[in-house]
Amino acid sequence: MGFKSYCFKKSLWLFHFGGASCNNCDIEILDCLTPRYDVERFGMLLVGSIRHADVLLVNGSINKKDKPRLLEIYEQAPKPVLVVAIGACGCTGGIFAEGDTFAGPVDKIIPVDAYIPGCPPKPEAILAGIVKLLGKN
Amino acid sequence: MGTNLFYFLVYPGFLFVAIVGGLLSWFDRKITARVQFRKGPPLLQPFYDFFKLLLVKETILPARGAKGLFLASPVFAVFGATMAGVFILLPLLNITSGFHGDLIVIFYLLTIPSLTYVIGALSSGNPLAAVGGSREMKLILSYELTFLLVLVGVIIKSGQSIDLYQIIHIQQSGTPFIGSLSGILLFIVAIFCLQAKLALVPFDMPEAETEISDGIFIEYSGTPYALIKLSKYILFCILPAFVVAILMNGTRLEGIGILWAVLKLVAVVLLLTLIRNTNPRIKIKQAIRFFFVWMNLLAIIAIVLAIFGL
Amino acid sequence: MVIEKLHKTFSKEILDSEHRNDRRITLSIDPAALLPMSEHLFRDLGYRFIIASALHTKRGFEIYYHFSNDSTGLVLNLHVTLDPVKPEIESMSNMFEATNWIEREMHELFGINFLNHPNLEQLVSEGNWATGEYPYRKKFKSNGEAQA
Repeated sequence: MGFKSYCFKKSLWLFHFGGASCNNCDIEILDCLTPRYDVERFGMLLVGSIRHADVLLVNGSINKKDKPRLLEIYEQAPKPVLVVAIGACGCTGGIFAEGDTFAGPVDKIIPVDAYIPGCPPKPEAILAGIVKLLGKN
Repeated sequence: MGTNLFYFLVYPGFLFVAIVGGLLSWFDRKITARVQFRKGPPLLQPFYDFFKLLLVKETILPARGAKGLFLASPVFAVFGATMAGVFILLPLLNITSGFHGDLIVIFYLLTIPSLTYVIGALSSGNPLAAVGGSREMKLILSYELTFLLVLVGVIIKSGQSIDLYQIIHIQQSGTPFIGSLSGILLFIVAIFCLQAKLALVPFDMPEAETEISDGIFIEYSGTPYALIKLSKYILFCILPAFVVAILMNGTRLEGIGILWAVLKLVAVVLLLTLIRNTNPRIKIKQAIRFFFVWMNLLAIIAIVLAIFGL
Repeated sequence: MVIEKLHKTFSKEILDSEHRNDRRITLSIDPAALLPMSEHLFRDLGYRFIIASALHTKRGFEIYYHFSNDSTGLVLNLHVTLDPVKPEIESMSNMFEATNWIEREMHELFGINFLNHPNLEQLVSEGNWATGEYPYRKKFKSNGEAQA
């Protein structure tokens, strides 16, 4: 593992994009960043601007109005960037998958590196998924 | 010529202030974590952040901004901060050279980083960055006058000399300035000016994190952002050292004096961190009124007390 | 008080009990006694089924079934530990309607097999996404620690 990828893994900055979701996964992601679960000991921070981000967390089903915005956000992120799809709606569309305005789960729009299923996944499951992603890279 | 380059680049120049600034920035994050009942990041975290931004991420230039100014501003910020750092640390570490430790030069060099942040924000072509830039400009207008009044108070107390070597010498052969009543008032005003200059809560409205999505730095990515972070680490080291030099008796680098010098520096950083963790972010109107009315009043009272020798 | 009453009727199926405070009591029981005990709690003692939670630890797959006594505010948890290689337990959905979907989600994410369940299809995923691989299972190293 070279110096560059070691530094990359030790300091990941997160950016959250919420699609058309029921907001339960948003609440669980927000819980993950509070002092009780403490992601800063892994070096992770929440940033406000996509240009500073290393990990793009996407949750919620993506509908036709969200699809060009998600593509725009993905292109604005400086590469290398990892994409994580959170929740049953992010991974496969969940119970919204048969609607009229559904525009495909996240991996039909942008390339995804990790999937964290659950409805909603607990913060421990989100942390376990991100640590697994770090171990594999 | 060789010793001057050594002073600028290695000790007490660029490498020394960058490494000490990184360690003090880790200290700030760790104390923030402990105050919130959690563990914080590991020791080398600021260096991991810096190298990740410098080596791994790509740089994206904004399509509608001024590209040359956008890339040149962080370079000038690092340069200004390093120059000010060298001129502050040479008297503090008691190294004699051809420079006479002029307070006016240090004050002007310390305004360069803040101005380059404003120029960089306005040249990125983003409306949110323009909001952040105008807030930073108003903040600079308010705290620079107060900082100048603090320096006037120090000059009066040291018998009308603007030489930093002289000021430290007067304190070490007498009592430190903070031991007198006017010195305490000047210390309080100086701490608040530092809080605004380093853009820490409660004065971090230019780079408000989720309100205007990182404000003045919204379009920076990759290598320019690494240089901005580096200039912030350097400022985090030299501004507390400046307060130690003008108000708290400087440093004496032999024996137990080394431990005492480190403790003084860490105490000033601890005060900045604790103020940062217990306050909310205030609006720009309230910040301007705070500096123009209340802090200037305290500084003028301190100057009057200093003229009467208290 | 309720622990002594249950000990009299089901003395050989209760393996362990933990009295955390006056509002949370956990009883570890034999998996075969789950249905008789739940029926006794519901019909005779007036407890209401709330929810069930599942975990994968180094002892195997553990499931907690939570029952509430609304008049006293006591939450009684029944805890079963299943075999790590082939986890199976009798389904409770013929007695309580609410466990139907809960057991479907546990089967999809952990791979626990519920015997006599009317409809054990996947609940939260769509299509054939990850059938057969159970995403919430962990790999444990040989000394028992979890491996990422």
